Amino acid sequence: MIEQVLSALLAVVAAIGASVTYFYGSNWLLDRLVTDRRTADGTYVSRQKTRDAVRPWLFLAPALLVLGVYLVYPVVETLRLSFFGKSGDGFVGLANWTWAVGNDGVRTAVRNNVVWLLVVPSLSTVFGLLVATLADRVAWGNVAKSLVFMPMAISFVGASVIWKFVYDYRGAGSEQIGILNALVVALGGEPQAWITVEPWNNFLLMVILVWIQTGFAMVILSAALRGVPEETIEAARIDGASDVAVFFRIIIPQIFSTILVVWTTITIVVLKIFDIVAAMTNGQWGTEVLANAMYNWMFRGGGHFGRGSVIALMIMIAVIPIMAYNIRRFREEEARR
Amino acid sequence: MITSTLRRILLALGVVGLLGSAVAQDLVFPIGEDDRFDWASLERFEALDLTGQTIEVFGPWLTVDEELVNSVFAYFEHATGAEIEYAGSDSFEQQIVIDVQAGSPPDLAVFPQPGLAADLASQGALEPLGASLEQWTRENYAAGDSWVDLGTYAGEDGEEDFYGFFYKVDVKSLVWYSPDNFADAGYEIPETMEELIALSDQIVADGGTPWCIGLGSGDATGWPATDWVEDIMLRTQEPSVYDQWVEHAIPFDDPRVVNAIQTFGSFAKNDAWVQGGAQGVASTDFRDSPQGLFDVPPGCYMHRQASFIPSFFPEDAELGLDVDFFYFPPFEAEDLGRPVLGAGTVWGMTDENPAARELLDFLTTPLAHEIWMAQSGFLTPHSGVNLDAYANDTLRGQGEILRNATTFRFDASDLMPGAIGAGAFWTGMVDYVGGESAEEAAAGIEEAWQSLE
Repeated sequence: MIEQVLSALLAVVAAIGASVTYFYGSNWLLDRLVTDRRTADGTYVSRQKTRDAVRPWLFLAPALLVLGVYLVYPVVETLRLSFFGKSGDGFVGLANWTWAVGNDGVRTAVRNNVVWLLVVPSLSTVFGLLVATLADRVAWGNVAKSLVFMPMAISFVGASVIWKFVYDYRGAGSEQIGILNALVVALGGEPQAWITVEPWNNFLLMVILVWIQTGFAMVILSAALRGVPEETIEAARIDGASDVAVFFRIIIPQIFSTILVVWTTITIVVLKIFDIVAAMTNGQWGTEVLANAMYNWMFRGGGHFGRGSVIALMIMIAVIPIMAYNIRRFREEEARR
Repeated sequence: MITSTLRRILLALGVVGLLGSAVAQDLVFPIGEDDRFDWASLERFEALDLTGQTIEVFGPWLTVDEELVNSVFAYFEHATGAEIEYAGSDSFEQQIVIDVQAGSPPDLAVFPQPGLAADLASQGALEPLGASLEQWTRENYAAGDSWVDLGTYAGEDGEEDFYGFFYKVDVKSLVWYSPDNFADAGYEIPETMEELIALSDQIVADGGTPWCIGLGSGDATGWPATDWVEDIMLRTQEPSVYDQWVEHAIPFDDPRVVNAIQTFGSFAKNDAWVQGGAQGVASTDFRDSPQGLFDVPPGCYMHRQASFIPSFFPEDAELGLDVDFFYFPPFEAEDLGRPVLGAGTVWGMTDENPAARELLDFLTTPLAHEIWMAQSGFLTPHSGVNLDAYANDTLRGQGEILRNATTFRFDASDLMPGAIGAGAFWTGMVDYVGGESAEEAAAGIEEAWQSLE
């Protein structure tokens, strides 16, 4: 324990030291190497322009290097691997891609990913907005908000463990330790092995992510609601608008860009969804998703790097339009300011 | 890297000495005191000075087994001064591939599956263990040749070499039961599969539940079903058919395999026969499933599981008294002798390291086996160990089943390619228990296997 703490401290000090040394050192070196000069005939040549041109690159270099090593190189390597065989050697052309198109497991994963994308961002955003709007109207609103926010602090795997107990199943007649089955039995029903009941088990897994992400949506939307000018709402009220009309015609349009941000952020989280499925079902009983399929193909039992890479790229391709949309909207907003 | 630099800094500050003494594990059996143990085999290692050397071992053992393996390591550490850092993981099979690919493998890896070790050997990720260890295994393990065969793989260059050393073996063909419950109900231990099936019907007729079966195992869910199917294969087909099945010389959806799956289904998919009914089978964790044996009134009367399962019995359950086992019997009608299904953990060297070779050498000593034998959940084919060291009659009895076997076969799923034996076969069995037909499930596995070739 002490060893780990010391290791961490050492790493922090070393990293900060190295950064400071790099920025000061490189700056200093640039000023020393590219100096102003007096030529033979006595005229003075300023090389300030050269220095100004080099300096930003000097400062950007570490970030570019890290981006290159950790982002660009892996993408290129994954693309390369997707055309190669099991252990990453032997060119197989498009074989891995045609396999992915025809494989039932991958198809199920794509189908499930689409359902996750439709359900989770919308439910999280709607619930988040509901809590943000309504919590301000009751005295215990802040307590409610804290409770809703708390799951955000739990890791996906931790949350899965909690929900595993919620869905836990014991045979009829024995004591149910899962709260859901305990309720069902108390109401006179038959206990169910919830996470094996297709297709509903998919939705039961989605509930976990909604439970986690609602807090995130609530916090951001709550801040946006505060930003809605009181005058617009008052004006609407004076014109005789009902609460519902005020909400949908005045408030929603004004916070719409925030809603989109929340929506797309959760969408990207959902595209990468892995931990919950891995911890709850490992994709069995028809709950496979792309990231889990990718992990299983890549690493399980010696792995198949070509197929794993193809699925990884499928996820990346799915994220690109959302990223592009986000960046475009960000630029538009920047331009408006 | 950072850790070793740090260790040097800390060493200079005198911190490690303090930490080391606090962390060093106590020896479970004081050296020289108990004459069940071959203490003399420790002498060679006491002459060895490996102080300051660290050996990283990565394996599948967690909780109880992790403590037990560390209790064996403690003697090596005590004798040589080396430090063994054992790390266990629930998803060993995936993590070892990641570690090897990332270029940061441990020194020694303990594979629960020879198939995966063979995969890594073919990628050049394992070091050959050398002729002397191979020779030693041949001469000192019962049925030594078969253990050598199971540890011999083709390397990166296609040359066969000895890569895997077996230590800690499991016998799988066991049915666990509570002698008290059997006595109360007046049941006899069945000698044939026909009797076992008749007994199961009898238990149902008496208002009880004969079996507890749980397939849940995190991201390895489904493997307990493969053991059932393999055990039944050995009881319904010649061993040569079993070998052809493992080598994919016959398709996975061969009628003989489908028949074995259906026979398993006649136990697991029979709501009256299993605790929790068929839908409970797939979602119950295998570690929780034996619990029914200990419930009052009994949740179930029998549990078919390998020799390691007592690690997951309630702590106060006494082997031989509260719970015992009998041999999973063969069909009388088939006349196939007394086949035994087994498995074992195979050690491979993922990073060349002289100290790690010494540790492997230590594992060949009788003492390294006896220390674990005297605790729980350990069987060994080592013919030089003192059988009195077994902690109880239960373990000794399992050793006898091993000796009386007319056929011994290694867990088939462990020998199949990883994507099948640790993937499609597991998920296929989950699908089968979940409602698919045996033909569909077998065809799905066959399709996955073909797509790999």
